[in-house]
Amino acid sequence: MEPNPRAGTPAQRTTRRRLLAAALTVPLLLGGAAACGDDDSSSGGKTELSIFWWGAEKRAELTDQALALYTQKHPDVTFKKTWQGNQGYFDKLATLTAGGNAPDIFQIDDNYISEYAGRGVTLDLTPYTQNGKLDVSKFPESLRKYGEVDGKLAGVAMGENTQGLVYNKTLLEKFKLPEPKTGMSWEEFIDWAANVTKVSKLPGTQDASAVYQALWVYLRQNGKDLYSGKQLGFDEADMTKWFTLWKDARAKGATPTPDVIHEGNASDVSKQLIVTGKAGTSWVWTNQMPELKKNTEDELGLMAYPGDSKVQWARASLYFSAFRGSKNKDVAVDVINFLANDPDAAKILGTDRGLPPNTDIRAQIAASVTDPNMKQTIAVQDELGKQFGPNPPTVPPQGHSKVRSELVRVAEEVVYGRQTPEQAAAAYVSAAKAAIGAS
Amino acid sequence: MTASTLTRDPAAPAAHRPGRRVRRRRENLAGYVFLSPWLLGLLGITAVPMLISLYLSFTDYSPLISLGDASWVGFDNYRRMFTADQSYWHAVTVTITFALVAVPLKLAAALGVAMLLNRTMRGISVFRGLFYLPSLLGGSVALAIVWVSMFNREGAFNSFLALFGIEGLPWVNDPDWALYTLILLAVWQFGAPMVIFLAGLKQVPSELYEAASVDGASPWRKFVHITLPMLSPVIFFNLVLETINGFQGFTSAFVLSNGTGGPVDSTLMYTLNLYIKGFVELDMGYASAMAWVFLLVIGAITVVLFSTGRFWVHYSDNEER
Repeated sequence: MEPNPRAGTPAQRTTRRRLLAAALTVPLLLGGAAACGDDDSSSGGKTELSIFWWGAEKRAELTDQALALYTQKHPDVTFKKTWQGNQGYFDKLATLTAGGNAPDIFQIDDNYISEYAGRGVTLDLTPYTQNGKLDVSKFPESLRKYGEVDGKLAGVAMGENTQGLVYNKTLLEKFKLPEPKTGMSWEEFIDWAANVTKVSKLPGTQDASAVYQALWVYLRQNGKDLYSGKQLGFDEADMTKWFTLWKDARAKGATPTPDVIHEGNASDVSKQLIVTGKAGTSWVWTNQMPELKKNTEDELGLMAYPGDSKVQWARASLYFSAFRGSKNKDVAVDVINFLANDPDAAKILGTDRGLPPNTDIRAQIAASVTDPNMKQTIAVQDELGKQFGPNPPTVPPQGHSKVRSELVRVAEEVVYGRQTPEQAAAAYVSAAKAAIGAS
Repeated sequence: MTASTLTRDPAAPAAHRPGRRVRRRRENLAGYVFLSPWLLGLLGITAVPMLISLYLSFTDYSPLISLGDASWVGFDNYRRMFTADQSYWHAVTVTITFALVAVPLKLAAALGVAMLLNRTMRGISVFRGLFYLPSLLGGSVALAIVWVSMFNREGAFNSFLALFGIEGLPWVNDPDWALYTLILLAVWQFGAPMVIFLAGLKQVPSELYEAASVDGASPWRKFVHITLPMLSPVIFFNLVLETINGFQGFTSAFVLSNGTGGPVDSTLMYTLNLYIKGFVELDMGYASAMAWVFLLVIGAITVVLFSTGRFWVHYSDNEER
């Protein structure tokens, strides 16, 4: 139908136009009003805190329960909980932060804590530890220190872990092979793995050349470190030795083919070669045991990395940090304090995020825990913890995540035979320097 | 139907009355009001963010700081991109390889299948639907995951090769082959250009083929001398669209490499590299600069394609004039 421009009186046309204008402006106004509504989270004595973490369903369940307990004790405080898998978590957190909407409390790890603290996103918790609102006195000193960036407490460790070498007990028993021994040298370990390959036809171990925490342990055993303050703690010669060690391991048949090594270099727990059945050992963190166990039928053993295990350290597996721009900072800190130190909350949370940071509570949990995998984690970590030497590393500087991803890339260049250990070492040192902005 | 056709209506006696300008203004206003949802979207979601990103490309902005705190660094980001960043040039090479191989193959596959489907037979629309299906799945993550498992060492493709006694490679985990599995995935999704080719083929006058048959032309000569020239505007259209698409490939590379561009950067497409710089390394200023260079380069490539079009694209209406 052809619309007639002369239809209707002028008054009617005006009305129609007004209607149109109204139809367009109303949603805009509503949108604006909704945006303003965000500020009212604490009206009427009620406080709603937003909290964001990554993890599996189990963690969500436990955290839900612990937070419900807080609300039970403080009926004025409720939570807006958001959680998701690890992949994409930090994209989301960065996007929220960019929009000025960072959650009041968020989970973070040593990959990014310096990044967030260095740019003033996290609340400095030091004053709260001094006025008694936040108690970290029962934490092992190294664990507390591991949350300090530039002398400010940026995050409260929610769990402790350390490097763990996990091996397939079922496989070793089946072929009557010896178990690896704590304290064996890297060379002895590689020979052990080569023997496993020879006997069982399954590659003895995942190649660790791209595993940054293995490199870190190796460097510390050689009197070096991954970082020394905001500089690198190693040089080209160290890297050449490291890449050569693993090149030889591949020549001896201790490790899988390059494509399988590449698969195992993915960070997902479910892709570790120990659980995909493509190698006899994998390089993990001690608190990942229950998650690993979920992905395999085989019985798993856990021990320290090869070499002197005194150089390993109590690492914060992850932290909770508070947002500096939060409107409810004090409540947020109180919640973090509750999750870390309240015996009932700790009992609910268990060792899902790592060993409880509060050592008193840790002892209680260790006595009452029933899950055999969790028991194993606690036993190994306790055993190692007794020997941890002095001078644990401080929290990695800004650019750490790039230092890690560059190691994977460069190590794989050697694994695929595209670069010699010497070339890769030179490439890695310059890439890592650039990543942390060192000279 | 539109405001302009209405005012040009010669039968309208109101055309010379003084009220005409007022009415035209009113009608224009109505037009803008109807356009406004789209205009607001264009301004709010495209234009303004683009301008902000242009500004950001001259700063050291990170998503963790507020816009106002970003400091001006002049052309530093651009300088770093062109002189210091090896991964940048590596990603450029990967992307160009991808586009140069995937686009011609995809267009050839699309044209070939379109010609096969350009006939009348029972159930032809079912076949057309089936061939279009992969494109409906588009940039889907699920599809990329399936692709990865098909081209693994233990994947379906290697099982197929094993039937002929060939031992396959771990295609997706081999730095020499990973990019080509992505290219194959892109080529397989030839449905969209195929449909457009099919429409183009239907427009070719059948007299031309009949006349050629009378003259004893072979099928190949008919294809080269009738089909291709008559189809050239459609080929050109598809070429431009697919080239732009090809350069922007992201999802499959992201899924295949777990967001890293691996193995050893062999699938580090330009957009994936940009994503890593912006969202993983939080270097948003630099990522913005990369995005702008990308926009300009794609623009330049499109201009070049258009300028070559003069030499090989035949518009039949031009020749009639």
